[in-house]
This record gives sequence, structure tokens and C-alpha cells, in this order.
Amino acid sequence: MSVDDFGSLAGARGDGPLHRLDARIKLLAAVAFVVAVAAVPLGSWPALGVLALILGGLIVLSGASPLRLLARWLGFLLLVGFLAALTAGGRAAASGMSWGMVVLNLLAKNSLAFLMMMVLAEVTPWNKLLGGMRRLGAPPVLIATLGFMQRYIFVLSDELGRILTARRARSFRGRGGLGPASVSNLIGVLLIRALEREERVHAAMTARGWDGTMRPLDD
Amino acid sequence: MGSVGKTGFESGSSSLGAGLVMHIPDILIDSRVAMATTVAGAAGLAYGLRRVERRHGERTTSLMGMMAAFVFAAQMINFPVGPGVSGHLLGGVLSAVILGPWAGAVVIAAVLIVQCLVFQDGGVTALGSNFLNMGLIGSVGGYAIYSPIRKAIGGAKGVLAGSMIAAWFSVLLAAGAFSIELAIGGGEHDFIRILTWMALVHAVIGVGEALITGLIVRFVLLTRPELIRDDEPVVEETDAAPSAETSGKPGWLATLVAGLGISLAVAVFVSPFAYDAPDGLEYVGEKFEFLPDESHPPMIPSPMPDYQAPLPVSIPGLDAAKVATAAAGLAGTLIVFALAWSMSRAFSRGAPKPGGTAAHVG
Repeated sequence: MSVDDFGSLAGARGDGPLHRLDARIKLLAAVAFVVAVAAVPLGSWPALGVLALILGGLIVLSGASPLRLLARWLGFLLLVGFLAALTAGGRAAASGMSWGMVVLNLLAKNSLAFLMMMVLAEVTPWNKLLGGMRRLGAPPVLIATLGFMQRYIFVLSDELGRILTARRARSFRGRGGLGPASVSNLIGVLLIRALEREERVHAAMTARGWDGTMRPLDD
Repeated sequence: MGSVGKTGFESGSSSLGAGLVMHIPDILIDSRVAMATTVAGAAGLAYGLRRVERRHGERTTSLMGMMAAFVFAAQMINFPVGPGVSGHLLGGVLSAVILGPWAGAVVIAAVLIVQCLVFQDGGVTALGSNFLNMGLIGSVGGYAIYSPIRKAIGGAKGVLAGSMIAAWFSVLLAAGAFSIELAIGGGEHDFIRILTWMALVHAVIGVGEALITGLIVRFVLLTRPELIRDDEPVVEETDAAPSAETSGKPGWLATLVAGLGISLAVAVFVSPFAYDAPDGLEYVGEKFEFLPDESHPPMIPSPMPDYQAPLPVSIPGLDAAKVATAAAGLAGTLIVFALAWSMSRAFSRGAPKPGGTAAHVG
């Protein structure tokens, strides 16, 4: 599993003016942008064009690889298209637009929102984003949970790698698909090891005086 | 999303993308729905966090974080469901079975937040809807179905059968909720069409989820049964009257909720038939004239009889998608019950040696 698979969980990608911006501003701005896109009435292409220009500028500023953005966007297009096509009928009727235009409009709006959230992830490492959410008033328990989750994702993916290595070392069928039983046993082993590790980590934290309160250093 | 690419897991099978289908993207649901579900989701999450904190105290964050990381990692492992098709664990019922209903919901919330903010899997304005479908309905609703079945059957068998049946029905309920959220503001009169498609797609996902959940729960029962949340002991199964003193009060409310959930899920499949000929919504629509003239035929082939050519295999007079949906619902239910029955037979006579199944995985 390459670090790239973990996106902004793995930390900062590059450096730029947007990277250095306060995470709170970035989060609020991105959500505001998505809400604005959602609020644009069906069929007002000029408004969408303006929003697209803003987005384009931000993409350039972010220094994100357009190819990667494009690849991820295309990956989600099929699902969005399916859902848009399912719901376009009623919207077409209500707005008087043709069915195809409604689908196109929904796709365009979704793309703007999707790419904006992707730019946010590109320029904001997960830790910073969590810090921003905490200072914006998100429940500390939730933020701490998400912080633990990030660390454990890497721990568990290493664990998964070790399980797979061990399995390959013992098995003649190293390549190719595993049956459902093998895969579920593998997930089961991962689950048990995860819970056992949490037990150990928690005991160690308790021994060091953990009382459930995160004391972040980056405030 | 990331994949366990180097492991050769996904060779030869095209991913079903179960997670993708369940995650509502931005824009597609109506703004009012988005706002309402965001508020409802936030309230549900706040309540869930309180419940979990009361139970686990200062351990809440590390326990929830670990379970969420596990569900996240498990979702990256492609799971062969049939020839050429693979899905992955969704995990709502599994987390609830291990940690309890509200903890399960909190775990799913954490997973959804990371998937949305890091991987753009699911829209930020749809977070509330997605949490409602997968966290609240998936975990809390799933547990409400699981708990009475577990108590009725008892022991390890009950845990296994209960979790599989709950996994199946919770996916269907989520599909129903998903359809409602999509239809409001978008296409009220298309509701049945949306529901039919969602039910069809999710019948496959539901069977996969039941199978994966069941196999994992079975593995845990064989190796570390004490990890299953113990409202009543699973480990020592004294087959004599498992319910006499324990199920004195768990009774009617849980059963009622479970029954309600299951009937709603069944309704997901049956309702397309209920709105036959001049379908109910359309009739209302015509009455109040909010229906369009039919000059904008929907492009997704409609399962409704008054739209033309529903599916390539359209049967004259019958509607293929509707029939397929009902058949899928029936077949799925039968498959899940058969799987649950055959898999839980392992527990009727002395459980196999722990570790026996573990050995070859690691």
C-alpha cells in the first residue's frame, strides 16, 4: 500500500500559499463554496461559470496535479451520473428544462463541489484540518477519535501487510484470489489484533496518566 | 480509495463498489433534505457520543478510533462475493455487534468523515444523510434487529444468525432511506422508480454484507468470543432455557422495533407492486397537477408500466425491473437465512478448536 493511497491522512503534499492558510478558513471557505454551488438554481450556467473560474484559480494556486484530480473525478462520475439520471425527471418537470440539460447541470454542479473538496484535501493535511475543526467548536471527543483513527489506520495497514506476508510465506497460493473464508478470517484476525492492540495502548496510556483529555500542542 | 493493490486481492474480480453506491455525493439531494439530515445527523451523533462516553469513559476515543480505523482498513479489502463480483465490508452491524449500537454509529460517523474529507467519497453536504443511512439506520437500527434475534435463538448461534440477518435488513433499510432522500425535491413522482433501482442494487450489496459480516463474526466467535459485546454471556452456552431470567424484560420494545424494521425492509421490495396500474403517487400527482407532461421521458429505463421499455428483457404486461426487484428481495432473504442457518450449525455441537481457522491466515 503506498502512502499516496492515504491522501491527506499521510501529511502535507507540497507547499504553497494555500497550504499555509489557516485550516479554519480553508474548511469554512470550501464548505461555503459547496453550499453556494448547491444554491445555484438549475440552469443558471453563468453563475456556475463564475464558480468554476474561482475553482480553477484555486486549483492553479494549490499546485495539485490536474491529472490526479481528473482521475479521481472520473472515478466518481459514473455513480453521480447514475444518481443524477435517476432523479432528473422530476427536476426537469419542475424547471421546464430538458432532461439531458438537468443531468448535465447536476453533473457540473457536483463536479464543482467534488473538485473543491478535493482541493481542500490536497492543501490541508489531516492533522491541520482536525485542529481547525476543533477550534471551530467540533466536539473534542469526536476530534480525538478522528485523531486516533488516523494513527491506527497506518498501524493497521502495516499489520495487514504483515498478515499478508506471513500468509504468503506459508501458502503456495500466494497470488490470485482468496476465497471468502480466507478473506473473512483475515479481516477477523485484523479485527482481533486491532482490539488487542487498543487494549495495550490504552493500558499504556492509562499508566502515563491519560484521563481522556487531548492536550493539543498546536493551538 | 486506497486499495491493497500489491496483495493480488482484487485480481480477476471487478469491484462492486458497495461503499460508493451507498455514499450520497454532493448536490444530488435537495438542499432542504441536506439541511434537515445534517441537523438530525449532528444531533444523533452528539447523542451517540454521549452514550458511548458514559459507557467507556476516558477510553472512548482510543476505542472508537481503533474500531473506525479497522472498519476503514477492512473496507479496502475486496471480498469475493461471486464469480467476477466483489464487494467490501460496510461494517455498521459488525461494529454494533462488537461494541454496541451507539458505538457502532460513532465508528461509522468517523469513517464517513474521513472518507468525505480525505477521499471525497460522499459529499460534505450529504454527510448527515449518509450518517443517517449507514450509522443510525445501519448500526442502531441494525442492532435493534440483531438484539431480539440473538436473544430468541441464544448463544453463539444467536449472535451469528442475528448479525447476518441484521446486516441484510439494515442495508435494505438504508437503501429505502437513501431513496426517500433522493426522491424528495428531485422526483417525488419518480420515487418508486428510484426505490426499485436502489432495492435492486442493494439486494446484492446486502447479501454480500450479510455474508462478510457473518463470516467475520463467526471467526471472532471461534477465536475470541469474549470480544462480542456481552449483554448476556456468549461463551458458556448452557442450552437449558436461555431466556428464563435474562429475557424477562428485554422483550416487547426491542421486538417491536425489530419487527418494524424488518417489515419496512420488506416493504422496500413489495411497494413497487403496491403502486400498480395508476400508481398512487402518480394519481395524486395528476390530481394536483404537479406532474409533468410526459414529454421528458426519463433516460434511466423506468420500471413503471406507463413508461416504455423498462429493461432489455422486458416482459410484455409484466414489468421486468419490478419483478427482478421482488425476486432479488425474496432470493436475498432466502439466501441470507440459509447462510445464517448453515453457518450457525457449526455451533450446535462443540465449537471447533479455536485457532484452527486462524492458523492459515496468521
